[in-house]
Amino acid sequence: MIRELGALTRRELLRLGRNPQAIITSLLLPLLYVLLFGQGFNGFTKGVPPNELALLVNGSPTYFSYFAAGMVGFVAVTATLFIGANVIFDKLFGILKRVSSTPATSFTIFGSRLLAGVIQPIGLAFFVLGLAIGIGHLGLSGLTVTAAVGVVGAGEIVLAIVILSVMFASLFLAIGFSIEQPQSYFAVVNAINLPVLLTSAALYPWGGMPHWLQTIAAYNPVTLAVEVIRLNLFAGAGPFYPYAAWYYLLGLLAWAAAMILLATVLAGRALAPKR
Amino acid sequence: MQDGDRGSIRAEHLSKTYNGSVHAVKSVDFEVRPGEVYGFLGPNGAGKTTTVGMLTAGLQATSGSAFVDGLNVAREPESVKRRIGVVFQESTADNDLTGRETLELAAALYSVPRAEVRRRVEFLLEQMQIGDAADRLAKTYSGGMRRRLELAFGIVHSPRILFLDEPTLGLDPQGRAGFWRYVLQLRKEHGMTIFVTTHYLEEADGMCERIAIIDHGTIAASGTPSELKDRLGGDIVTVRPVAGAAPAQEMLTHIAGVSAVTEQDGAYRLKCANGETLVPEVVAACVRAGIGLQAVSVKRPSLDEVFLEFTGREFREDEGMSATDRAVLLGRVRNQMGGRR
Repeated sequence: MIRELGALTRRELLRLGRNPQAIITSLLLPLLYVLLFGQGFNGFTKGVPPNELALLVNGSPTYFSYFAAGMVGFVAVTATLFIGANVIFDKLFGILKRVSSTPATSFTIFGSRLLAGVIQPIGLAFFVLGLAIGIGHLGLSGLTVTAAVGVVGAGEIVLAIVILSVMFASLFLAIGFSIEQPQSYFAVVNAINLPVLLTSAALYPWGGMPHWLQTIAAYNPVTLAVEVIRLNLFAGAGPFYPYAAWYYLLGLLAWAAAMILLATVLAGRALAPKR
Repeated sequence: MQDGDRGSIRAEHLSKTYNGSVHAVKSVDFEVRPGEVYGFLGPNGAGKTTTVGMLTAGLQATSGSAFVDGLNVAREPESVKRRIGVVFQESTADNDLTGRETLELAAALYSVPRAEVRRRVEFLLEQMQIGDAADRLAKTYSGGMRRRLELAFGIVHSPRILFLDEPTLGLDPQGRAGFWRYVLQLRKEHGMTIFVTTHYLEEADGMCERIAIIDHGTIAASGTPSELKDRLGGDIVTVRPVAGAAPAQEMLTHIAGVSAVTEQDGAYRLKCANGETLVPEVVAACVRAGIGLQAVSVKRPSLDEVFLEFTGREFREDEGMSATDRAVLLGRVRNQMGGRR
C-alpha cells in the first residue's frame, strides 16, 4: 500500500509541477489581499487608542497583523479548492477509471491526492506569513510579531496550518469524489467556501462581531487555526486567549478527522464497482 | 482455484440491469478457455462494455456470476484486478505524464518487483515502439501511440488475462493493424487469454479463435468464425430482379441445390453448397420464368451474413469500418503475422 501511495502521490506532484501557471496564479490572490485589502483596511484603525484596538483585535498590535494571520488560514482554504476539481477532471478523462481498475485501494487513491494536495496550500500559507512580515520592512503596514515565539509555538503554528489544509482538502476531495460535473462542483464549493470564511474570525475583528456571530465563529475550523497563529504571534496566553493552543488544535483535529472519514467513505463509494 | 481455471473466464447467467429497467446484459453464459482469443461481437449498445465491466470488477452484476482466472469476481475483486490487464474503450492515457512515468506508475500499482521495474518498462517501451517518445508527455502522442501505451499499462505485470474493450476504436487502419500485431505477439509470447470486444466484423473474423455474437444483451450465437459461417449452410447467391418483376421466391426454391430462399429489400438470398455452379441454373430458371435480372452475385458467408442469420437484422454498416479499411487492415495484419488466420 505504501508503494502505491508513493507512486500515486508522485503522479500528483509531477502534474502540479508541470502546471506552473496554476502555481503562479495561486499567488495572485494572497498578494492582492495582503498588498491591497490589508493595507486599505489597516487605515481604519489608525487613531484608535491601543487599549481599544487590543480589545477589537484580540491583542494583535495592528489590524493588519490580525488580518495577515487570518489570511494565512484563508489561503490554506482557498488553495485546496482545486483538489476536488482535479478529481472530477480525472473522472472525465478516464484517469480515475484507469487507476481504479488496478489493485490500488480507494483509500490509497484518496490518500495520495490528499498528501500531494496539501503541499500547495501549506506552501501558500507560509508564503503569506513571510510576505506579511516582509512588507513591514518596506515601509508598508506589516505583520509585527509581539510575542516570544518558541519552538513549541512555531510547531503549533505549523500544525494549525497543516491540519486546516488537510481538513479542507479532505472536504473538497469528498465533494469531488461525489460529483460528476465541474460546474456542479464549483457551485457546491462556492456555497461552502464563502459562508465558512465569512463566519470565521479570519478577517473580522473579534471585538467588532455581533455576539451571535462570535458564537458561530468560535467553532469554525478557520477560526480555530488562525487563533492558534494569533495566540502564538501576538498575545501569548493571557486575557485574550483563556485557553492554550492545544485546545484550539484539538477542535481543529476533530474537524479534520470528521472530514477525512467523510472523504474516505465517499471515495470508497465512488471507486467501488458501480451498481 | 483449480489448475484448469487458470487463465479462464466464465460467465454464468450474468445479467446487468440499470435503474431497474434498462436490461443491458440478459443472463449470458459463456466460457473462455486459457490462452484463447475470444471475441464479443456486436453493435454499439449490445452489452459488450457492460459485460467487460462485470468481468473486470468495475461493475456489479445484477444477477449471475463471473469467474476470472478461477476467482469469483464479486467476492474477490482485488485479487481479480491483480491477475488481469484492461484496455478501455475510451482513451485513459494520462496527458500529464510521460510514457515512461506512466509505465513506472503502472508497475508500482501492480506491485511489479522493484528490481524488475526498469527492465520491464524499457522492454515495453521498445516493444510498443514508443521508446523514442518515452520521455515526452502522453498528450503529444498520436492516437496509435496512446493506444499502445494503454496496452503496455495493461500488461506491465504480465497478467494471465487481458481484456480489450473496443481497443482499436478511432484508430486508422495502419494503427489498428499495428495494435493487433502487438496483441497477437503478446499472446504468442506469454500465452495470455485475450477477451476482446469489437463491433468491427473483420477484426472478429480475422483475430479471434472463437466469437460470441451479442445483440440487445443476449448471446445470439457463438463458435469459431468458420463454425458460424458453416452454420449458414454454404454460399449465398443474391438475385436481384429488375423492378416490377413477378415474385420469384417460389420458383427459386425449387432449383436443385438451393436449401433456402429469403427475400430482403427486393432481392432474394439463396443458400446453397456451391454458389458458383448454381449461378447458371439460377439465370436459366429466371429466363424461363420471364423474370428480368438486374444482378446476381455470389458470396462466401461472412460474419455479416452470420449476424443477419442469428439476429434477424443486418449489422449496420456505419458501426464498422469501410470495406476499403477492412481490406487494408486484414491485408496488413495477415502479412505481419505471416499469413496466420
